[in-house]
Amino acid sequence: MFGNHSRREFLTQNAMGVGGTALAWLLQQEQLRAKPASVVGASAVPDMSPRRPQFAAQANAMISLFMHGGPSHVDLMDPKPELSKYSGTEFQGDIQYSFVKRASKTLMGSPWKFKPHGQCGTEISELLPHMAGIVDDLCVVRSMHTGFNGHEVSIRYWHGGIPAVLGRPTLGSWVTYALGSESQDLPAYMVLTDPGGAPVDGVNNWTNGWMPPLFQGTVLRPQEPRILNLQPPAHLKGKLQSKNLSFLKKLNRKHLERHPEEADLEARIASYELAARMQVAATEALDLSDESNSTLKMYGIDQPETKEYGTRCLLARRLVERGVRFVQLFLGGQPWDNHNSIRTSLPAICRKTDQPAAALVLDLKQRGLLDTTLVHWGGEIGRLPVTENQGDAEKAGRDHNGQGFSCWLAGGGIRGGMTFGETDEFGHRAVVDKVTPNDIQATILHLFGIDHRELTYFYNARKQQLTDGRNCRVVHELLPNIA
Amino acid sequence: MPCCILPIVTALFLIAGIARGDDPLTYERHVRPILKAHCFDCHGATAEPEGGLDLRLRRFMVRGGDSGAAILPGEPAESYLLERIQTGEMPPGDKKVTAEEYLLLKQWIATGAITAREEPEELDEGIVITAEEREFWSFQPLVRPSVPELADSNGVRTPIDAFILARLQQDGLEFSPEADDRTLLYRATIDITGLPPTPAEVADYLTNESPDKYKTLIDKLLASPRYGERWARHWLDVAGYADTEGYTPSDADRPWAYRYRDYVIKSLNADKPFDQFVLEQLAGDELVSPPYKNLNQQQIEYLTATGFLRMAVDGTGSGANDDKARNHTIADTIKIVTTSLLGLSAGCAQCHDHRYDPIPHTDYYQLRAIFEPALDWKNWQTPGQRLISLYTDAERAAANKVEEKVKIIAAERNVQLKQYIQEELEKELSKHGKRLRQKLRAAYETPADQRTDEQKLLLKVNPSINITGGTLYQYNQASADELKKFDKKIAEIRKQKPVQKFIRALTEKSGQVPVTHLFYRGEYQQPKQAVTPAAFSICSPTGNRFEIPVNSEHLPSTGRRLAFARWLFRGTHPLVGRVLVNRFWMYHFGRAIVGTPSNFGVLGQKPSHPKLLDWLAVEFANNGWSLKSLHRQIMLSTVYRQSSKSDPAQSAFDGAAIDGANLLYWKKPLIRLRAEALYDRILATSGALEQQLYGPPVAITTDIAGQIVVAGESKRRSIYVKVKRTQPVALLKSFDAPVMEVNCERRPSSTVATQALMLMNSQYILKHAKSFAQRVAREAGNVKALPMEGALPQFDDIADAEAQQIPFPQQIVLAWQLAYGRQPTADEYLAALNLLSEQISILAADSNRAKDIAPGLQAMTNLCQVLMSSNEFLYID
Repeated sequence: MFGNHSRREFLTQNAMGVGGTALAWLLQQEQLRAKPASVVGASAVPDMSPRRPQFAAQANAMISLFMHGGPSHVDLMDPKPELSKYSGTEFQGDIQYSFVKRASKTLMGSPWKFKPHGQCGTEISELLPHMAGIVDDLCVVRSMHTGFNGHEVSIRYWHGGIPAVLGRPTLGSWVTYALGSESQDLPAYMVLTDPGGAPVDGVNNWTNGWMPPLFQGTVLRPQEPRILNLQPPAHLKGKLQSKNLSFLKKLNRKHLERHPEEADLEARIASYELAARMQVAATEALDLSDESNSTLKMYGIDQPETKEYGTRCLLARRLVERGVRFVQLFLGGQPWDNHNSIRTSLPAICRKTDQPAAALVLDLKQRGLLDTTLVHWGGEIGRLPVTENQGDAEKAGRDHNGQGFSCWLAGGGIRGGMTFGETDEFGHRAVVDKVTPNDIQATILHLFGIDHRELTYFYNARKQQLTDGRNCRVVHELLPNIA
Repeated sequence: MPCCILPIVTALFLIAGIARGDDPLTYERHVRPILKAHCFDCHGATAEPEGGLDLRLRRFMVRGGDSGAAILPGEPAESYLLERIQTGEMPPGDKKVTAEEYLLLKQWIATGAITAREEPEELDEGIVITAEEREFWSFQPLVRPSVPELADSNGVRTPIDAFILARLQQDGLEFSPEADDRTLLYRATIDITGLPPTPAEVADYLTNESPDKYKTLIDKLLASPRYGERWARHWLDVAGYADTEGYTPSDADRPWAYRYRDYVIKSLNADKPFDQFVLEQLAGDELVSPPYKNLNQQQIEYLTATGFLRMAVDGTGSGANDDKARNHTIADTIKIVTTSLLGLSAGCAQCHDHRYDPIPHTDYYQLRAIFEPALDWKNWQTPGQRLISLYTDAERAAANKVEEKVKIIAAERNVQLKQYIQEELEKELSKHGKRLRQKLRAAYETPADQRTDEQKLLLKVNPSINITGGTLYQYNQASADELKKFDKKIAEIRKQKPVQKFIRALTEKSGQVPVTHLFYRGEYQQPKQAVTPAAFSICSPTGNRFEIPVNSEHLPSTGRRLAFARWLFRGTHPLVGRVLVNRFWMYHFGRAIVGTPSNFGVLGQKPSHPKLLDWLAVEFANNGWSLKSLHRQIMLSTVYRQSSKSDPAQSAFDGAAIDGANLLYWKKPLIRLRAEALYDRILATSGALEQQLYGPPVAITTDIAGQIVVAGESKRRSIYVKVKRTQPVALLKSFDAPVMEVNCERRPSSTVATQALMLMNSQYILKHAKSFAQRVAREAGNVKALPMEGALPQFDDIADAEAQQIPFPQQIVLAWQLAYGRQPTADEYLAALNLLSEQISILAADSNRAKDIAPGLQAMTNLCQVLMSSNEFLYID
């Protein structure tokens, strides 16, 4: 399962990859169907048939709520009383800035109040009331560290395993490459993009890198057609396209009569029918009309501010329910990149995402899916404890900080109701139990029942790994019952 | 390291060996191939065989090794060789002797372990080529076969027909009737130009009464510049053409590769004799004397042609300029040469003697030696270094003058930049007290490598002092914008420079003659004996191998490639001619005479019509290697002109029952359009196609779904679309266009739902369906009936009000003419009218429909999309 794949095999796969991932996936499905059952899984070529992990898995699916831009941990989930205390004074330590012109050393205490919540008592900011409500299910990691303040450098670290390096397969690629898909009707790795546009680094956030295109994230677009090519454009959907297809069938049948016994012509007629059936399966998964009002309300789909993100969180649950292995949500641009006016811009993005994200955890839990579905919430970096000088105090913001920040995990074998690690007293650097994106990746693969060192893909004359042999570990402290 | 693919088919030809019945089992014919495939690496190929056991002769086997005799003739049970195989101990590794092979060995020993002839007294080191191996069909000298004389030669127009019919008659088959005029016109036009005929061309052809009209048509088509665009794509497949380098993840651009693509188009259009065409590609640089300056058109063409040997994946200019990457490029180049011209998969011999074909390990490196002076991994030219500028001396002088002007502006810019930085620095400094200000200024002004630790710290804790050209914009956008004006000015001035063009060429450095070594196991880290340049032994008669002098006395270069290229086309090479005509036949008929066009070796397929293949190869040479003559010969034959439809009721034989796969050509095979032809046909049908020849590649881009599409609104033919190895254009890829890892010997023709979805939902088809509908609306007023059966339908009005404004009936007829070159049948016509009226009512009732397109146009667009997705559009009769 975790063996070598030669360049030739790669190409065989690449040759069926079509660019459009939905299509690569479809083609794969067809080939699976064409194979006798006994051969499925025995193929030397990587495919999407479900595979067993190396050891007992806690998680069998993952939803990642990726928060581009760098959420300000000191205002959200890493309370810093010292920062508040010395707010307005000069920071005595060493700081790494991105924007030198506006750099200052003036500490800025969080304008928002923190309170303990749940049985565990984890302190959460008033900006995230819904997260506060599920805190007993969360493991908040407060000692994240990439070592780099830049967005792209750290984004690529999170997705591809090496800081700054572009063109490597992403986490979702590795998970689906290892385990295949539970669903034979939907793509295994799906990406839900924001109507506000593409995130920074665009399609690189879900690239398959040098793996076959089968392992690329399939984009579920925020508007119709939700999956390019798999679904008709809005203006053809329904009766129009079905009339087109039946007319096409009529023409093709006539043509076949003139060329009897040409198997390829018959196969092509059948290929249109198969395509239409696949459209139906995807359409069903995306249709929210069978969801109850209370569910819609829980996700905030009844409110303008949360409607869009709530819808995507709900879709993520529906996809996982139908066997999709890896789902990742992105935001448009970098709404968490609060260089200026943090007092207004940060609450806005919190209002958009807080309720839907919490609802997702609650909903998974009430359906018994949280035990096996790992949920991740976090950005590539955090923000500095000092003010980014924008002149006017109201316009104050915070600059990038890859030295210390927070993220949270829930479900899929993660221990709830805990925090892990610490930043310094001002929240600049991770100082206790530093955790890197590689550590998180190793831990995620571990929850899926895979040793990150043994999951390899042969490329460029060597066995490649997600964590690339870098110094990292499975963070066992985040898992229950540590031996 | 390169690795052989060892197909499972080995056993098949071996079993075929047994099946010959009365032919007794001999060492040479039956046993040696098995031992060669499994054992010779350790027990024969090396000077000191493992365990002292050499299996290359029967008597060596009887003599045995350290463990005693390997076989006891007549006594399989006493033969140690069989025991070792049966227990699975030998051969080591995953690939074992099959049960069939084992039985054959056993049977051979049981029947006395016979040899075909007396074994030689002496045996050279390594694995020699046996007489049996030389008997293989594809290595036989090329002799013009006599054309069969048939008692019943009904339908025979050309010698090709005689060969085909002779074989058909053996199975009680004959030719199908000739296809109708319209079908022939479409078939020939798309085959030769890759584009459909226009309705006017259809009308002209159908009304032409001349008995020679088909022949005239072929001549006209071959004279069209579109011919080169279509057939260049075929050659670019085997050449492995790409506009990017591959190898590293960046898959860097090859900005001038397109000139080679254009060279191929131009050469084919000119019907350049194929021997000359290949010679230029293998050795064009050796026809031009260095230094490559002030080149004339002929010299430019010769050098451009060598782009063929620069097509391999090459990471040495994009981050991987190491020995491994260089040797990778050389190996891929050799693969391109051997598969495209020799039809041999020689790659196995890179690491060891070829296990199936008679290509010794040394032969591989001797062939490599032909190319090594130009592909010298010890003195490598990176992609940047191998560009030859087309600047003349005069142009270069003019360019230098322009650069002088640029220098002046750049100096002014620098002065301005310093001033701006100074201004901002003063502002920043003014925020500090006097003492600190002085210290900061001193620190800033001290060159970075001379600052004291104190100064360094000072600047670190006051980051806003560190103003540079790069961060100036953060302080003062206006200043930064001012500087941009200088940049703009410089760009303006540089526009006066004569445009510098380059050729991506392959050249040798005079006097630089590297020694080629055999690499043990193909590993460049393990060079062994030096070898001299020579062609494969098997391509010449015994004792007459083509060896090439190490260095030419008459040329500045070594002359190795030039000698090799000339020898290839001397007319005696057993493979080149066969390999080329086989591939050309494949493009015309959708399948080749030898089904494995790049493997004419033991594991390849046997020719379905061996004599025809040889006849075509000889003719090709006799006609001065003119490809256009070959096209004429093939296309004027009856076999090409047959109908593709089988109609048992109408014919005297039941082809489908006798030869369902049509391997014998009792009808013309139906061919699905290649990816490029489909892409182009959609463009041509919608009326958008641009006819411009040549030029830099059309850009591609990634849409939000990660799908690769052509950027912008380009309406150029697909051959001009950029070929990026890691990003094949989705539509082309889904219809089997190759992913260029090395090269593509033969495309599959797949039928999958992916393609259906592309034609149902992709932006490309939707966009061009709309253009098609608009074209139909625009031009329908003048529609005339085509001169063919099925008169123009009576244009009945249909009830819908909107439809009365647009003459739908005429539009339907025109749509059919543009898509298929024929009239709709009465049924089709009514069904189309019905579809339009249904769709218009659905659209009219739908308040959510797109407002920017009238229901009539939308419905017509849908109809046009269906026509362009239909099998009649996708397949060539």
